[in-house]
Amino acid sequence: MFTLKYLLRRLGFSVFVLVGALVLTFFVSHVIPSNPAALYAGARPRPEQVAEIEKKLGLDKPLHQQFYLYVSELLEGNLGESYHSRRSINTDLSIFLPATLELVIAAVLIALLLGIPVGVLAGAWPRSPFDYATRLVAIAGVSVPSFWLALIAQFIFFSQLDLLPLGSRISRDATLFYPVTAQTGFYLIDAAISGNWKAWADALHHLILPALVLAAYPLGITIRMIQTSMLEALSETYITSARAAGLSRRVILFKLALKNAIMPALTVVGLSFAYSITGAFLVETIFSWPGVGKYVTEAVLNVDFPVIIAVTLVVTVVYIFVNLVVDLLQSLLDPRVRLA
Amino acid sequence: MTLLAVENLHVQFSTPFGAVYALRGIDFELSKGEILGLVGETGCGKSVTGRSIIGLLDENAEVTQGRVRFENADLLQLSEADLREIRGNRIAMIFQDPAVALNPLFTIGQQIGDVLRAHGADLRSEQRERALQLLNDVGLPDPAQLVDVYPHQLSGGQQQRAMIAMCLAAEPDVIIADEPTTALDVTIQAQILDLLRMLQRDREISVILITHDLGIVAETCQQVVVLYAGRVVEKGSVETLFAQPQHPYTRGLLSALPRAGSRGRELNVISGTVPSGLERIKGCAFAPRCGFAMPRCHEQQPAFSAFGPKQQSACFLHEPLNHD
Repeated sequence: MFTLKYLLRRLGFSVFVLVGALVLTFFVSHVIPSNPAALYAGARPRPEQVAEIEKKLGLDKPLHQQFYLYVSELLEGNLGESYHSRRSINTDLSIFLPATLELVIAAVLIALLLGIPVGVLAGAWPRSPFDYATRLVAIAGVSVPSFWLALIAQFIFFSQLDLLPLGSRISRDATLFYPVTAQTGFYLIDAAISGNWKAWADALHHLILPALVLAAYPLGITIRMIQTSMLEALSETYITSARAAGLSRRVILFKLALKNAIMPALTVVGLSFAYSITGAFLVETIFSWPGVGKYVTEAVLNVDFPVIIAVTLVVTVVYIFVNLVVDLLQSLLDPRVRLA
Repeated sequence: MTLLAVENLHVQFSTPFGAVYALRGIDFELSKGEILGLVGETGCGKSVTGRSIIGLLDENAEVTQGRVRFENADLLQLSEADLREIRGNRIAMIFQDPAVALNPLFTIGQQIGDVLRAHGADLRSEQRERALQLLNDVGLPDPAQLVDVYPHQLSGGQQQRAMIAMCLAAEPDVIIADEPTTALDVTIQAQILDLLRMLQRDREISVILITHDLGIVAETCQQVVVLYAGRVVEKGSVETLFAQPQHPYTRGLLSALPRAGSRGRELNVISGTVPSGLERIKGCAFAPRCGFAMPRCHEQQPAFSAFGPKQQSACFLHEPLNHD
């Protein structure tokens, strides 16, 4: 089990990681040759305009002073402002981050709810047709590029079957006739809170396709990890002794073996969750999903430093958080894991 | 009264090197309330015999011949669902190393609870009550505390007691104990064997004790079955068989034991090695190593000859003379 002391130490270490990520992205982005002030000024700026903006943004100061200014703003919770759109990054992220999290959480839920039972059964019937079929699905899920999968999914479910929408988070009709009041930024949650079930259904309808496409990678990984560790768990003596005691196959597979098999899978699934936050940008772009991936892609194309740094920090925080949750879960599942 | 009878059991394993003949005809009977020792060297088929009784052989193993009679049924013919009713409930099994035979991620109470639930006890409070009682029965101190701990928090001896408590949960008639003390300290060994004897005496549970240790057999068992290369070479009651071993292999085994007063003297050994399981053996499996082997020993499989009412030996030396 974990202790408060452990938790505090882990958080202390996380601050360290965060500072490292901040220093690295800040200095790298300021060292590469570009002219952010010109970007800020807009199309065809005059030189004196650029100089004025450089002064306003503090870009004329030495680098360490710029860093100091940035950190002091950051400590007040201010991520700065986009050079490109001049909008507050805090405001932007409060819209885009929930959109991405909603998508990624949906994808990871699909991956787990589907991947765990499939992996368990594949591990229970090694070398069966089912096992080979799931291997194929798993390998395809990991190796097929998401943009290709996205296009194929759109072709089938939108063009051919006309079952699901092509993209975006919600239809225009829904925003006009039953608008959702934003509270958490998660449409499904906001709509449910306000009892706006028409909007809820519409948001879900829009979520299905991108979530499925984004789920392919974590799904493949989950299946493979669970299948391999199930095989291992099932060859253990405690499984033989459970069979000798007359326990049913269902209990042996889904309770006794799965609890042992889920441990190694947990780490990888956790990482693929964090990975999906930025990995989602292709899927978000194709499905016009207004998320962090799409946001940061545009920032990179425009060399919009404040946005790039801010998103890097947010993703780092997500990684740290997911890793912490995985470690805590492992210590909850396995009494032998002592976190100290 | 015979409770369980193994008849002419043949098991083979398919391996990349060809078929391995693990059991080449095992016969013995287990009576109600007795402890029967299954002894032999590593690889002689003791564990395979134990596992095939309740259908727990590995996937590459196959029973090619024989029967396991238990209450008018042949266990080898039962479906998986019917076997599940027998396992744990009627015939339970204890394993060599309790550290790996207990699931590391569940408490002792949860694991006993699973067995109880599998055999009909549905109430959680009832399960806990029973688990406490069982832990107490197997001589664990402070059951109320141990019921909620995980296996790694127990010592080896405590783990094996917990394992035995699990086995007793559904009140079986037979316990198959596969080398239950090999992984334990010598002092703990004696305690676990005492516990098995106590269960046999108080609850009339029959025990098949699989071991390679003749000392354990002499101390613990009433009956003994000596295996060699997948066959029974000699069987009988412990008093008569240890006093007058008849088969040359049994004699060799007993004379190879170090005894009081033999200090400084060289131990007897049985020369030669055990035949490989890959060979098909025509005659007596022990013939190549036997000092008394006759030409026919290599050709023919000897049948059992009786020595008194309580002992049988599969050797031509003891065949009643045939006066035609």
